[in-house]
Amino acid sequence: MFIEKYGKYLLLLPGLIIIVFFLILPLILIVIVSFMQIFTFREPTLTLQNYIDFVASPQTPTILLNTFGMSIGTALLTLLAGYPAAYVLAFKIESIKIRNYIISLLLVPFFIDWNARTIAWIPILGESGAVNYMLQALNIVREPVQLLFSRWTLLIIWLQTNILFAIFPIYLALIRIDPDLINAARVLKAPPHRVFYNIIFKLSLPGVVVGFTFVFVNTLGDYITPALWAGGIQVLGLSISSFAANFVWPYAATQSTILILIALAVLFVLFKIVDIKKLVE
Amino acid sequence: MGVWNFVGKVYIAFIIALIYLPVAFMIILSFKSGASISFPIERFTLDWYIKPPTGEYAAYLSLFYDRQVFQALQNSVVVSSLVAMISMFLVTTLALTLRRRIAGRDQLFYLFLLGFLTPGVAVGLGLNFLFNLLNLEFSIWSAAFINVIYAVPFGLILMMARFNPDLLLYEQAGSSLRASPLRVFRRITLPLIIYEVISAAILGFLLSWGEVIRTQFALKGIGTLSTFIEVQLGVNPLTPKWYAAGTLLSVASFVGLAIFAYLLSKTTR
Amino acid sequence: MAGIVEIKRLVKRYKGNVLALKGIDLEIYRDEFFVLMGPSGCGKSTLLKTIAGILDYDDGELYINGKDMKNVPAYKRDISLMLENYALFPHMNVFDNVAFGLRMLDKDEEEIKKDVMETLALLELKGLEKRFPNEISGGQRQRVALARALVIRPSVLLLDEPLSHIDYRLQRRFASLLKDIHRQISGTAFILTTHDQHHGLSLADRMAIMNSGLIEQVGHPEEIYNEPHTLFSARFVGEVNTFMGEIQEVGADSVWVKTDIGYLKSRKPNAADNLVGRRVGYIIRPEKIKISKTGENAENSVKCIFEYLNYFGHYVEAIFRAPHNVRIKSTIPTYNLPNFKVEDEYWLSWSANDARTIIKPSVVEGVDIEDLIYGR
Repeated sequence: MFIEKYGKYLLLLPGLIIIVFFLILPLILIVIVSFMQIFTFREPTLTLQNYIDFVASPQTPTILLNTFGMSIGTALLTLLAGYPAAYVLAFKIESIKIRNYIISLLLVPFFIDWNARTIAWIPILGESGAVNYMLQALNIVREPVQLLFSRWTLLIIWLQTNILFAIFPIYLALIRIDPDLINAARVLKAPPHRVFYNIIFKLSLPGVVVGFTFVFVNTLGDYITPALWAGGIQVLGLSISSFAANFVWPYAATQSTILILIALAVLFVLFKIVDIKKLVE
Repeated sequence: MGVWNFVGKVYIAFIIALIYLPVAFMIILSFKSGASISFPIERFTLDWYIKPPTGEYAAYLSLFYDRQVFQALQNSVVVSSLVAMISMFLVTTLALTLRRRIAGRDQLFYLFLLGFLTPGVAVGLGLNFLFNLLNLEFSIWSAAFINVIYAVPFGLILMMARFNPDLLLYEQAGSSLRASPLRVFRRITLPLIIYEVISAAILGFLLSWGEVIRTQFALKGIGTLSTFIEVQLGVNPLTPKWYAAGTLLSVASFVGLAIFAYLLSKTTR
Repeated sequence: MAGIVEIKRLVKRYKGNVLALKGIDLEIYRDEFFVLMGPSGCGKSTLLKTIAGILDYDDGELYINGKDMKNVPAYKRDISLMLENYALFPHMNVFDNVAFGLRMLDKDEEEIKKDVMETLALLELKGLEKRFPNEISGGQRQRVALARALVIRPSVLLLDEPLSHIDYRLQRRFASLLKDIHRQISGTAFILTTHDQHHGLSLADRMAIMNSGLIEQVGHPEEIYNEPHTLFSARFVGEVNTFMGEIQEVGADSVWVKTDIGYLKSRKPNAADNLVGRRVGYIIRPEKIKISKTGENAENSVKCIFEYLNYFGHYVEAIFRAPHNVRIKSTIPTYNLPNFKVEDEYWLSWSANDARTIIKPSVVEGVDIEDLIYGR
């Protein structure tokens, strides 16, 4: 009987319809449009010209380097900053209650309005902001220093908004480690650094990868922060949105296709190496 | 030993301070008198929240007198509520199906994960193509659904990670005691996952509340509060008014988040 | 007498074509206490859940009360199931847990209350109605789970490893409670799975020994203990000494088997074909062995060296070393215990009528006798 056999798939139907309509079809269209000479669905002329243009453009290497360099760089830096915090949280703070309070505290900024948390940096790092005020008051500098609008600003802002995503999955992976494994290694006379590397770090890898994924994806899709604070650094998302705003849709689609492909390729390789499902199962 | 524990705790305190630094400045600035946002702050005021449009602020309406802010707020509430309800429904149905070892489970899981993995700008652009192709108009609904596919993977992971490992056993026990599938769901499954279900709704609400890029692509006109402010920031001078707006938005998120955290801390007996 | 549960050539396939049940034939009668026994992974739980309707079967037939159960979901079957972890609904108190099945049958609340209170009284659970599952002890949880399954008075009560998650004393208590209740109510067949031979033997009216998705033997516990069809059954039910050997001579009603500890005589196995030269397992139960200092005029006698004792309270197990370092154990009632000396010589003897020669290692194909005996 059909219902008996496929009934369990029936509940998937609403979700499938929505994801096909609002994600899969748009993605297919992006690929199709990326080959169009002019945007039209009536007898379109398909061409490779957009891709040739993209590869030939002198800006391309810079854009790609900016986009993926900044995202991967931020992700690595965030993991580096987040790992010790997750470690302390998992192993050095005994009270579950306090741990949960700290996690909740870390959770808040992600949900604070996106605009609010970016404009908040101006009174801190701006020319007449708090840091410059302090530097001048302490007579360290005479003229205001330009602190905003650099790659470093972008890095700090992204670090601040994303660190939760590094800490949380690593923390989850760390607390799943059976303490007896660590004890066993110690009893077998493993020195602390080897206990850490061979047991704790290796077993926390799924968390690290999930953390990387979160930060990488979040920053890759965010072109507004770089536009506002990184002094006009060109990233792929920004380029896509400005071509799209000017209705140069096929070229925007080409750039989108490349953005998605590279992003998914990076994640695919990562997921191949580390089994992230270990974190939820 | 002791020293390292202490250093570790100081480090966590430092991370928390780093995270809250901008928040603190945003709140302080929202009470600053005068249109400039420079330091030091000489006087504090509530003007940016409630002052009628006269005198020195006439050029920049304070929040309570800005009609457009209210329109955007209304849009935000509608879109986020829709996202909350739709993603609650989807996350529940998907999580309940995908927890079983059915054929294609992993592929389906990654398919839904794609909603989070794909950059918003690409999804937004593609949706523009689709609506152009089908001659559809963007509306509150398109804005809601583009946020739904973003929020669902978060809720899905949350719910699947928190599923009671014995849930399937309880359901089996129920059906061996003459309960039809519908009754098993109503009397056993739903009461046991109700906190996760509500959490999924709140998560959807919060994620869409703060989302700018996706919403911007799928909702024309005045937009939601977040997209509205984003546009305003590009054309208006930065005054403490926007910090006041940010503060109000943050308070709203904070309340939502507090409810969310409270629900997550609860488990059914 | 028609069985209340009839199973014919039942096959259950798991993902990747692994066969969990490889063609089960079984008939279980009304009012019977039936035990499915076997090592973990033998398929007994799968069989139970297939009868319950929680698992589907791929081939064969299953009848309950004479009705074909293909595509009949669990909630429409005249069964109830007590799961291994009890699966008491954590969001309902004891009363609501027990009342659940009755409510699903849409009985009126008066009647439900009466039935629930009766069952709670039967299982010594009175006064716990308002408590939640996490507020009562493990033993109480177990009885609540039984009450919940029992109260709807099914034709078949399925009990999945009900004795495996509690300490030994509670196991004994619960086992005798089960037996009592089974005697008190009529019209319900109990089917219980266990990997523990003591519970299996003591509870069962009839039992089935399962191994790798097949049934090794079905019968009364005594029958299986005394006349095992396969070495697997013999070794799974009760303690046994097993010696590998080869049949050398066949008499009218006995055979001689050549083993490492000498030529041993046993009753002739029921096999029509040529017996001489077959590799077999020769078994003798430890309580059938007599120990003496001088050697008796018995059909089988082996000179051994005493090694040590295992003390079990009312009896002891004496371990001896026979030629070729073969170990033999013998059980002796404690009140009758001689003063054994380590490394002293003794004669172990038994009659051919108490020993069995078993040809089949297992009903599972490809199982080697040696592997089975030496546990390789």
